[in-house]
Amino acid sequence: MPAHVAVISLASDFGCQVQITNLDDKLLAVLGQFELSYWQLASSGHLPDTYDVAVIEGAVTTPEHVELLKRVRATARTVILIGACAVTGGIPGLAADGFDERLGCVYGDDGTLLVCGRISPMPVDSVIDVDYRVPGCPIQPDELVAVLQRALMGLADRPQREPMCASCKVAENQCFYEHGVVCLGMITRSGCGAKCISLGRPCTGCRGVAADANLEYARQVLVERGLDPARLVTALQLYNSLQEAAR
Amino acid sequence: MSTLTVEHVARIEGHGTISVEVDNGAVGEIRMDIVEPTRFFESMVVGRRFDEAPLITSRICGICSPNHAVTSLKALEAAMGIEISERTRLLRTLLVHGSFLQNHATHLYVLAAPDYVGLPNFIPLAESHPEVVARALSIKKLGNDLTTAVGGRPVHPITAVVGGFTAEPSRADLEALAERLRSVAKDVAETVGLFSTFDVPKFDTAGEMLALKAEGEYAVYDGDVCALDAGWCRPVGEYLDFVSEHVVGHSNAKHSTIDGRTFMVGALARVNLNWDQLMPTARIVASKAGLRPISKNTFANNLCQAIELVDAAERCAMLCQRLLDETGSSKPVGYKIKAGAGTSATEAPRGTLYHTLAIDDDGFVTAGNVITPTAQNLANLEADMRAFAPTVVDLPEEQFVLRIEQLVRAYDPCLSCAVH
Repeated sequence: MPAHVAVISLASDFGCQVQITNLDDKLLAVLGQFELSYWQLASSGHLPDTYDVAVIEGAVTTPEHVELLKRVRATARTVILIGACAVTGGIPGLAADGFDERLGCVYGDDGTLLVCGRISPMPVDSVIDVDYRVPGCPIQPDELVAVLQRALMGLADRPQREPMCASCKVAENQCFYEHGVVCLGMITRSGCGAKCISLGRPCTGCRGVAADANLEYARQVLVERGLDPARLVTALQLYNSLQEAAR
Repeated sequence: MSTLTVEHVARIEGHGTISVEVDNGAVGEIRMDIVEPTRFFESMVVGRRFDEAPLITSRICGICSPNHAVTSLKALEAAMGIEISERTRLLRTLLVHGSFLQNHATHLYVLAAPDYVGLPNFIPLAESHPEVVARALSIKKLGNDLTTAVGGRPVHPITAVVGGFTAEPSRADLEALAERLRSVAKDVAETVGLFSTFDVPKFDTAGEMLALKAEGEYAVYDGDVCALDAGWCRPVGEYLDFVSEHVVGHSNAKHSTIDGRTFMVGALARVNLNWDQLMPTARIVASKAGLRPISKNTFANNLCQAIELVDAAERCAMLCQRLLDETGSSKPVGYKIKAGAGTSATEAPRGTLYHTLAIDDDGFVTAGNVITPTAQNLANLEADMRAFAPTVVDLPEEQFVLRIEQLVRAYDPCLSCAVH
């Protein structure tokens, strides 16, 4: 019997769900392996009482999100997070600093009227245990397919441990530090093929901090290049402000 | 009195809930609660380096991220007085039109079409209408491949930076894309044909319509803002003088009005205001499908998206050819960071998108403002729902609710954009 899958979104830009639809010619083949039980973006219907796999996009920003996640964890056998928002808190996490002042800043004095409560943004694993993580902003469709296959076969999550620099060497990219530009490749989890760097942009760390990252050494590299080591942390805040390494 | 509620309306981007009060066949209060959570983007850019602003604002929306990125870049360039090259302008225009191809194909086939063939979603279409699904996926893939060639990936472009591009599509890429864009002509024309066969209600919006207009082109990258009924055109920099945003209690997205009146932006407004600038084939296909300006039927917005697919395919092929024929560089131009504030607008698939960014002498953002197309449309959408609901209230409940949902989906609302 095919696994029943529910796709659930918290606070996000829906970009990772769009990436699922961007599987294009593979889309039907991939979805054909599952019974799609719920996907608000793409289908009518409501979150059912039972399903096997929950695919979650977005950061936690409301009390409803917390309640929903607890229900999801009690229902699903497998929980898969997709995208930086869910995995690290991502860009929404930038709002955590000075959170209480932001409502008035954006909505003015009328801000209190707004529907639904708000809580300071958190990654999903601050609320529930998760089984698999597909990092990135946005995710890469192929990586999602690979993780889904692992989940279907009952294999454990196997995150890339080595940092982006390893992929960069393979791609024969020139190092940004040679031009005095801060790049997070030294400490960011690899697996995207160093896409940004290959296209002339430094790594901004959207895939999160690699498990084996040597932060101390990374800071030292900045110092050796005559750069302020504090810039490493500022850069890291973009997608990882809620992670230990960016504090 | 009973209240019909559709929680988390499906097949739209983001979370919204419709509620309609019905009492003995009469429609009472009706509204659309936008419960999409607030992320406070306008406050998030503050204090970040200027070159991070396009990265941040493009995360407002994964569906129209190229539009947010390009609009932010333009605002920063306006703030610092940076002149970009013609080649950069061409590439950015290609990126925006490519996002139309990508978005309209997704909305029309994946989100809107199931309504008209009576299916809950797109997947069963693969069995019932395999040729339609194949066509949909091929147009969408072409849009994705185009935005990937120009921007580096289909969602959240990498290569577009302040002053230019860090990488360009190769000649071989441009040649292959131009060829594919020409050969998709039949598929996009058939999309217009398909949507013209769908039975849509006869319902005219009472709202004003706004879109960018520019000399000699179907304005998406530049232009003045023009109002269809009022007949005025004004520079984008004045948008805060004519668009007023206000907070409403049932929505995390603000509502917008101009001169106290609700208005509509998007494909229908653009086609009405820019009919003469559409590529000739798009005009021919539109006429065949029975659409001629001025149309005020909200439901015709979907048909206009299909017409824009025809326009975008031909226009993008032309842009690729120009990039092949013309020399010049898209490498970022040199500039000095200096304090200033800049405002810009582009046409995103769902309508006019405004960004304002202010930076200090060190290049840190001091203020940001974003008004998205869906936020502009929401007040008009509710006004339409109030006017439309009584005309379908005699239908069986399920049909009645479906018609209201169809009206909402005709706008192709993007609620994460609207809330941001």
